[in-house]
Amino acid sequence: MNELINEIKLQIIDALNLEGMTPEEIETDAPLFGEGLGLDSIDVLELIVLLEKNYGIKLTSPQEGKKVFASVRTLAEYVKENRTK
Amino acid sequence: MKLLGISRITPGLATVNDIQREVVPDGKGFLHSLYTSLKPDYPKFFKMDLHCKLGFLATELLLEGTEGRFEPREDRAVVAFTHNGCLQNDLEFNAGCKAENYFPSPALFVYTLPNIVTGEICIRNRYKGDSSCFVLPNPDREKIQECLECVFQDPVTTSALCTWVDYKSEEDYEAYAFLIENK
Amino acid sequence: MTVRTAILSDYAITPLAFGSEENLSAYLEGRSCLRRHVGTFGIQDPFYASLFDREQVEAEAVKAGIPENYSFFEKVAILAAGRAIEASGTDPASPRTAFIISSTKGNIERLDNCPGEAPLDVPAARIASFFGNPSTPVVVSVACISGLAALIHARRLLTSSTRYDRVVVCGAEAYCGFFVSGFQCLKALSANRCRPFCADRDGLNLGEAAACMVLGRSDDTQLAPWEIVCGAVRNDANHISGPSRTGEGSYNCLRAVLPHCEERPAFVSVHGTGTAYNDEMESVALSRAGLLDVPVCAMKSVFGHTMGAAGILESILSIKSLDKGLVLPTPGFTGGGVSYPVDASPVPRLADGNSFIKLLSGFGGCNAAALFRKGGAR
Repeated sequence: MNELINEIKLQIIDALNLEGMTPEEIETDAPLFGEGLGLDSIDVLELIVLLEKNYGIKLTSPQEGKKVFASVRTLAEYVKENRTK
Repeated sequence: MKLLGISRITPGLATVNDIQREVVPDGKGFLHSLYTSLKPDYPKFFKMDLHCKLGFLATELLLEGTEGRFEPREDRAVVAFTHNGCLQNDLEFNAGCKAENYFPSPALFVYTLPNIVTGEICIRNRYKGDSSCFVLPNPDREKIQECLECVFQDPVTTSALCTWVDYKSEEDYEAYAFLIENK
Repeated sequence: MTVRTAILSDYAITPLAFGSEENLSAYLEGRSCLRRHVGTFGIQDPFYASLFDREQVEAEAVKAGIPENYSFFEKVAILAAGRAIEASGTDPASPRTAFIISSTKGNIERLDNCPGEAPLDVPAARIASFFGNPSTPVVVSVACISGLAALIHARRLLTSSTRYDRVVVCGAEAYCGFFVSGFQCLKALSANRCRPFCADRDGLNLGEAAACMVLGRSDDTQLAPWEIVCGAVRNDANHISGPSRTGEGSYNCLRAVLPHCEERPAFVSVHGTGTAYNDEMESVALSRAGLLDVPVCAMKSVFGHTMGAAGILESILSIKSLDKGLVLPTPGFTGGGVSYPVDASPVPRLADGNSFIKLLSGFGGCNAAALFRKGGAR
C-alpha cells in the first residue's frame, strides 16, 4: 500500500505540475482540495484522466470523484480495489 | 498616449526599459531561470502553457517592485496581442486526441485560447477592468496603436498593460510588455 | 452632434437556416438542429451539437465563387460576410472599410496537416482579401465573448476616429474533434439538449454558426434602424475557467452599461450556456444589477454554444425578434435552477421597449455587455 501511495504522489506531482514538491511534502491523509494541496476544479478533471490512463479506472463525473479524491490514502485505496491495469 | 515602461524577453535575454535584467541560470531553461530570479512565489505559473508563461513573465518583469501593485483596480485594461497565440499548446493538446492514445488533457485544453494570458495577468494583479486579445500577423505598430485608441474609449480605463507574446519554440520566442497611460 | 454606431445590415448562417429572418422564423417555429452525434469527427463518446451540413455549405461556397482550397471556417465566414456586405451597399475593397473577425479557434481543423494556417490572423487575412480589402484585418479572440467584444471594438473604431466609414464584423466557429475532445474532457457537454437556467441542467451543446454585421456611422439627423449605444468588457480576475461566484465581471459590465439606458430594456439576451456555474453566476449578476424583473432569453437551447459567433448571432436574433415586438423563448425552460430566478419563458412573449442588453461571459475571466437600441425610438 505504501508503495502505491508513493507512486500516486509522484504521479500527482507530475500531472498537476506541482513544481518543487516532493512526495514527502504531500500528507497522505490531508485533503487534496480546498486547504491541503489547494487543488482546483481543473486539477480534479486532470486526476480523472490520470486514473483512466494509468489504472484503467473510468470516473464519469467530478461529483463521483469527491470521495475518491478526499486524500491520497482514499485515492490509493480506490485504485487498489478498482484498477484494471 | 504615454509609454510608462517596457520589458522584453527573447531567448537568453530579459530587459526592462532597455536595461538588461540579470538572470541567474538555474539549469532548467531560461524562462524557468527568469521565474526563479523574479521570485514571484506563484505556483500557478507552472500550470500555465508557454504562451501564458511568457506573457506572465514579461508583465512581472515590468511591474516588479511597483508600489501598491496588488490593490484591486478597474481602471487598468489588459490587452494582449499575438500571432501564434497558444499554438504550441494546441499541438500538445491535439497530440492527446489521437485515437491510438486518446487521453485529451483538461489542463491543456483550458490553455487553448489565446486570451487566457489576459486572465492570468488579471488574476495575478487583481485587475478587474477591460481585457482583450487581438491576433495580428506581426507586431504592427500602427495596428496596435489603433487597437489601443479603441481600448481607451472606455471611460473607466486610464491605463493599459499590454503584451505582444509570440512563442514558436524554445529557441524562437519574443515577448514585450508595456504600460500605457491615456494622456 | 453625436456620432452614433449604426447597424447597417446583418446576416446569420446556422445549421438551421441561411439568413437572419430565416433563422428567426425557424426559431419561432420551434425548430433546432441540435441532435445527438455518434462517431462524428471520429469522437467515440456521443455528444449533442448543432452542426452544418458540410455538403450544403460547400455547394453554397462554390456558388459564391469561394476557392475550393479555402477552409470550411473561411467559407462559412465569407458566405455570411458576403451577404451582409451586399445588403449594406458597402464597398469592401475600400481602404475606409475595416474588417474585424471574431473566433475562438478559426482554422483549428488545419492543425494536423497545415499548422501554419492555424493562427487566427491567417483565415482573417484570407477572408478580407477575398473581398479585396487592402487593410490588415483585426481578429478579436476573447473566448466566448469574442463576437460581442468584436462589436464593441468596432463601435470604438468608428467613434474614436474618422479613419473608417464602415466596419464589417464577422464571427464564426466551425468544429472538429479538437473542440469536442476538449469540452468532453472538461465534462462541460450535456448528453442531451442543453437546459439553460433549469434545475436539471448539466452542460452545454456546441453549435456552429457564422454571423456578420456591417456597422457604420450616423449622426443625429439620420435615422439609423438600430444602434449599438455602448458596451463594456470586464475581467473578473477569479479563475481562468470558472466564473466568479459573485458575478463580479458580468455585474461590472452591466454597471457600466445601465446608465446609458433611457428606458427599461425590453429584455436581456443572456449567455445561458446550460452549465452549472455560468447560469448561476449570471443570475447573481442580474440580481445585483436589479434586472431580475426584466425578461431574459437564452438561445443556446436552439443554436447551441456558437463560441466566436455567439455575440453577433444572438444580437442579430435579438434585434429581429424585437423588430417583431417579441422576446424570444428559451425552449425547454422550466426554471428552478439558480439562486435568483430569472424571467425566462419557454414560449415567445410580447416585448415592452425598444432596447435590449446582450450579455456574455467566457474563459479567461472575461465578461461583456452591450446596449442595443432601435433608432427613432426616442
